[in-house]
Amino acid sequence: MLQNKYKFHQSSVSLEIIGLPDYSKNDEEKSISIISKWKLSIINQPEIEGSLDHLKSIISTFYKYSMSVLLDQEEYLVNKLIEIKPNNNGSHTIVLKSTKVDVKPLKIVIGNAELSDIINCIDQLKDSKKINLNFNELMPDLSIKRFKFNIRTKLFNNLLPALMAIFSITILSLIGINFYEKDNNIENNISFNIHNLY
Amino acid sequence: MISRNALERLDLLLLALETIDLNGSETIISITNKLDLKSVLPSKVSIWKLRCNNPMRKTFVCKNIKNQEFEALIKITTEMAKYLYPYIRAIISSKDNYEKEPELWNDFQNRFTELIKARFNTDSIRVKNLIDHQKSAEFYLRILINLSLCISEDGYFRLKTLLVNI
Repeated sequence: MLQNKYKFHQSSVSLEIIGLPDYSKNDEEKSISIISKWKLSIINQPEIEGSLDHLKSIISTFYKYSMSVLLDQEEYLVNKLIEIKPNNNGSHTIVLKSTKVDVKPLKIVIGNAELSDIINCIDQLKDSKKINLNFNELMPDLSIKRFKFNIRTKLFNNLLPALMAIFSITILSLIGINFYEKDNNIENNISFNIHNLY
Repeated sequence: MISRNALERLDLLLLALETIDLNGSETIISITNKLDLKSVLPSKVSIWKLRCNNPMRKTFVCKNIKNQEFEALIKITTEMAKYLYPYIRAIISSKDNYEKEPELWNDFQNRFTELIKARFNTDSIRVKNLIDHQKSAEFYLRILINLSLCISEDGYFRLKTLLVNI
């Protein structure tokens, strides 16, 4: 049976998907529901290919990482097939692990431009009507991220001024009480010799 | 309620696009027509008024911006970033390889700073920091990365999530 092949390009990156339609789901002849092979090519880097699990893992990790980059919280993401971490010079290190025991992990370093290309290539794959892959399970849970992020910002933006206000009031009150007590002590120390007045 | 930070970032994103596209204001209008957003953003002035919600602007006005208007501005940003992606990418690449090819990055940085000086309140400490290249180079890069990651339909949602969470 002839396999279908689709290629998605974005500047320095291209993603090739090869597979077959699933006729049991009444797929069109030109569509792909069963991915048999995929290949991610980045200029000046070795080609990346693997199983469907690898592709899903790469897509989900890159999407998650792109959100962390956007939200300025670049984080070290790791799972059993891929690792992505930000470097101090602004680049990103990707480590791809093989499921085969005797194959060493592949380490590549990419810049921000290549990272954008990869994300945009994956977006093209997602938007393609010819390839039926369940992307819902691969998308980052934005609501959770938003919740976590909001808690941090809310703590800083809302709680901090309130705490500062309470702290200031407490300090001012303590100073006030201190002065009041001093005045009282002065008044207690004053005594009049009434006998001498007459 | 749309936060001031979101409006500030959105205006900066549009300003970065105007930095790259010398005819940016006209492009914004033609994209508004293309996306059929005339009912929400009928003229250049209406877009300018919305952008004046950015507290850093010389002509800052505090007006509650409607969700529909906010989304329209995000759509315009996404569409314009899509059309300017090759240039955005080239500038990011220049910053990535600054020692070998600094020209594009330097040009962008200088023109972006000039636009900020022309439109923003330069008496403000934040704007002073923004036009100081040593302090703001990383922020400029972040603005471009924001644009480079929002050129698709998913990119629109990514940008919206960023602006809502900012």
